[in-house]
Parts: sequence; structure tokens; C-alpha cells
Amino acid sequence: MILNKFNRIHGLGTCLLLLGSAMAHAQSESVLLKRAAELREAPGESSRSLAALAARTPVTRSGARQGAWIQVRTAEGANGWVHMFDVASSTAAVPSAGAGALRGLTSFFNKGSAQGGTTTATSTVGIRGLGAEDLARSQPDMAAVAQADTMRLDADQARQFAASAALSSRTVGDLPVPAPVQAPVQGTTPGSSNFN
Amino acid sequence: MNPHNLLVRTACLPLALATALACAPAQSQDAGKALNILGSFLRQAAPAEAPAQQPASPAGVLGNLMGAGLAPAGGNAARAGDLIGLLSQSLEQIDQPKEIEIGRQLAAVLLGSKPLHPDMALQRYVNQLGRWISLQSTRPDLPWTFAVLDDPGFNAFAAPGGYVFVTKGLVDGVADEAELAGILAHEIIHVTGKHHLQAIAKTARAGLLTQVIGSQVKGQLASAVSAQFLSLGRDLYSRGLDQGDEFDADRSGVALAARAGFDPYGLVAVLQQLRTATPDNPLFALSLSTHPPAQQRLDLLEQAMGNRMDGFAGQAPVTVAQRMEGLAARRSASTAPSGPASRRTPAKK
Repeated sequence: MILNKFNRIHGLGTCLLLLGSAMAHAQSESVLLKRAAELREAPGESSRSLAALAARTPVTRSGARQGAWIQVRTAEGANGWVHMFDVASSTAAVPSAGAGALRGLTSFFNKGSAQGGTTTATSTVGIRGLGAEDLARSQPDMAAVAQADTMRLDADQARQFAASAALSSRTVGDLPVPAPVQAPVQGTTPGSSNFN
Repeated sequence: MNPHNLLVRTACLPLALATALACAPAQSQDAGKALNILGSFLRQAAPAEAPAQQPASPAGVLGNLMGAGLAPAGGNAARAGDLIGLLSQSLEQIDQPKEIEIGRQLAAVLLGSKPLHPDMALQRYVNQLGRWISLQSTRPDLPWTFAVLDDPGFNAFAAPGGYVFVTKGLVDGVADEAELAGILAHEIIHVTGKHHLQAIAKTARAGLLTQVIGSQVKGQLASAVSAQFLSLGRDLYSRGLDQGDEFDADRSGVALAARAGFDPYGLVAVLQQLRTATPDNPLFALSLSTHPPAQQRLDLLEQAMGNRMDGFAGQAPVTVAQRMEGLAARRSASTAPSGPASRRTPAKK
């Protein structure tokens, strides 16, 4: 399909149409270093550094991810791993002020929206997802709710699944709430300011 | 088809007017609109047995709104009407059974816009995954119900009382199980935090129901689900939640997924993918328009997470297809072989 050539911009949507995985999409995604970082030989801070990458260095994602680390390739052809939080979409504004700051210590005054950047016409895509029009036409389907209710599982069934998937629960503390940095919302009704 | 359609008959305008006054005292409303809405509410709340004997006093209507039982034969619809009255007063009056009933009403709106996906193995898997995550939440005893909507778009929804929906397009689009777990955890936090209840209570209190009531409600169906909840649901899911609630669901969802044993970076990875989607992409249009910009969500998550969660990461990724094949193999090993193995099928509409 003609969609292929817009792969980078269309992101996941294209992949869905091609029935590929998100990995396939990510293969061609180019991203920028948000701040100076080391290119690591393997996932993890303790891994050997292959190169020092400056802020705004463009790299290409291979699609592989392990935890916080994504595999990337530099323009010079070096392959390695960087932390997810150290990269930004190449269409997003990369903060110049934040460059060089340590991860987690950055100030977040850069509120540029990735969606505010380059957009490419996607009107050629003849398939769309559930939208406001579908909701406006919706007629309540209680029979479907009743059917969904029959799919419900109990706690024991969930624990059996976890055991078979080698998942076990862990004690994890709550994450701190970041200090508010955002100007008051523009709208007068809840959620109405979300459109962008 | 619908056993309750006898209920949808009586339009009682004096009652509607009185209800309008009782229901939305703070707003000066368009009287015609108010009559329309509240009339449709009363058509459902009024028992079919005695349409002409309704008390036409404001006090009687108030009693009805407060759940005083003037419509004992009204069934679901009467209950729904009572719930609207309670919602506009205070969330504290919504106990767990009422919360679940509200959730059912809103779930019916979502399922009325897109049906359940027919792949029952997939439905079961999403319930296993979601129920396991919900067990680590602050409300493990809700009747958690997960469902895949037959829709190619990329979106997820929740409703009060434990309903969580993901689209088939989302399930196909995630790179691995940890990403799906991150999304389910995000939705579970919306439920445990009662974010939808707060949003619709705000709408009910503001008297905004007048703006969205549908005369499109078909009589036969309207009796089963309150027209009020239909308009609330349409409004809620096409508009989205409060931005602060979304950030909370991201942050608390990351911790919840980690508690359930998943890679906490699953949700972060999803948001990185969402960041590259544009609002005019029809597969992402609704999820992007109802949520804060993905880059902003990522920035706030980075600030909250720092390196704190890195010790909980590092699991080898498992794709949804791999997990489902593993589950199917276990089932066929322990029981007689059943139908064909569940393959991921194209989301053709």
C-alpha cells in the first residue's frame, strides 16, 4: 500500500494496516538524543560505553527494547543502547536548556507537543478507529455488557495465569507527584482543553 | 426484543419542568432543552402501570430523584434516574453497588458503539492479564471485567465499577505484553480513582446534560438504559477525562504494573509510539484528542520515575502472540485438544 512510505510519520497506524508489529514500525524510526548520553554496549548504566553521544545526536531505533533501554544505531554505524528517557521523537522539540542535565534532574519547562510538529496528510488512510461519531450514534447494548460479564475471571483464575506466566507480585512504592509546571487549563469544562 | 419497552410511553411535562428546577438549580437553562431531557428521563422512570397517577408536585419528583421509590416497577431505568440525582449531589452517596450500576450503563454505551471482538481466546487472555493486575490495585475485590472491542483504532476505556476496554487495534499494535499491561494498569487506576464518576458528577452538577441529550434515543432501547447515562457516556468518552487524572493514571499505572511483576517501562514505550502518531490519523484521532499530548505525559513520567523503577525492569519481552500460544499449549496439554490455536487475526471490519 502507499501507506508504507509514510511509515515514520504514521507510526503505529501504518503497522496495524500492514499487520506488522510495533517493532516493524520502530525499525525505521529516527529519534534525537535529548541530552548528552553514553551509547552502551548492553542495556544498563553499568554496561561499557561505546561512544559519548552529544545532545541532539540523531540515532535510529532498531525496535528492540529491554526495560528502560532501547537499541539504536548511530549515523556512523555504531550499534548500542540508550535509556528511553534520553531520546525524543525527531519531530518533537528537543530542549536546549535541558541538554546535558542528568536524567531525572531536568527542568520541565519544555512543554512542546510532539503533535504540534510536522504533520503529514493522512487522508489516504481509508480506515479509522472508534470516534466521536460512533459514540454519538451509539445505542446502549446491555446484552453485550451481560456477555462481557460472563467473561469475568475470579482472583484464583488470575493467580493461576500469573503462575503460568511466571509473574509474581512485588512491593513497589508510589511514585512522587511531580511539581506542577503547567499553566492553568484553558477550558471551562472538564477535559475540554485536551484537543490539540 | 426488549422486555421493557412498555415503560417508554408517558411524557409528563409538568413533572419534567419540576424536575428541571430540582435538578439544575445553579444554571439558567434553555427551558425547551430542559423539558426535552428531563421528559425523557421521566418517561423511563415512570412505572408503566400507572402513567396518569404520577404526583405532579415538585416534592414528589424530588423524592423520585432521591431514590425514594416512587417508581418501584421501573427497574434499571428508574435506578439509573436515581443515580443521576445522587451523582449531582455527592460522590459519597454512590456506594459500590451503585458505582457498578453506573459502570454498566456507561459500558453499554461503549459496547453500543463497537461490539465485542469475537476471538474468545483473546477475550479470556485480556481478562487473565487485567484481573491479575487488578489484584494488586487498591480495590482488588471489584467485579473487574475486561473486554476487547472489535475496532481497528488504538484506544482504551474504563467505566466505574471495574470495566476496562481495549480496542483490537491496540492489542495488535503493542509490541509486547508489558505494553498492554501498562495500558490496562492505566485504565485500572481510572477505576480505582473514580475518575469517571468525578467527571460525570461534575457534568451533572453543572446542568450540562441539557446540551447533549439525544432525541436519537430509540424507544425500545431507551427503556433498558437511561437516556441520561447515554448522553453522559457519549459526552464522557468523546471528551475524555481531566488532564490531571490522566497524569495520575500514567504515574500510578506504572507503579501498579510493576507491582504485578511487569516491566514498568511498558506504558512509557506505548507513549513513545503514540508520540509519533498525528492527530489526523484516524486510528489515533480519539485517543489523541481525549488525552494530553504524549510528549507531555512522557515528560511528567520521566520526572516521576527518574531511575526509581529501573530495578523493576529488565524482564525478557513476551509478545501477546507468544503468551497466548503458551496458554493454549498449556490448555491442550492439560485437557483434550480443542479448537484451532488462536492466531492473531486481522482486524477487518
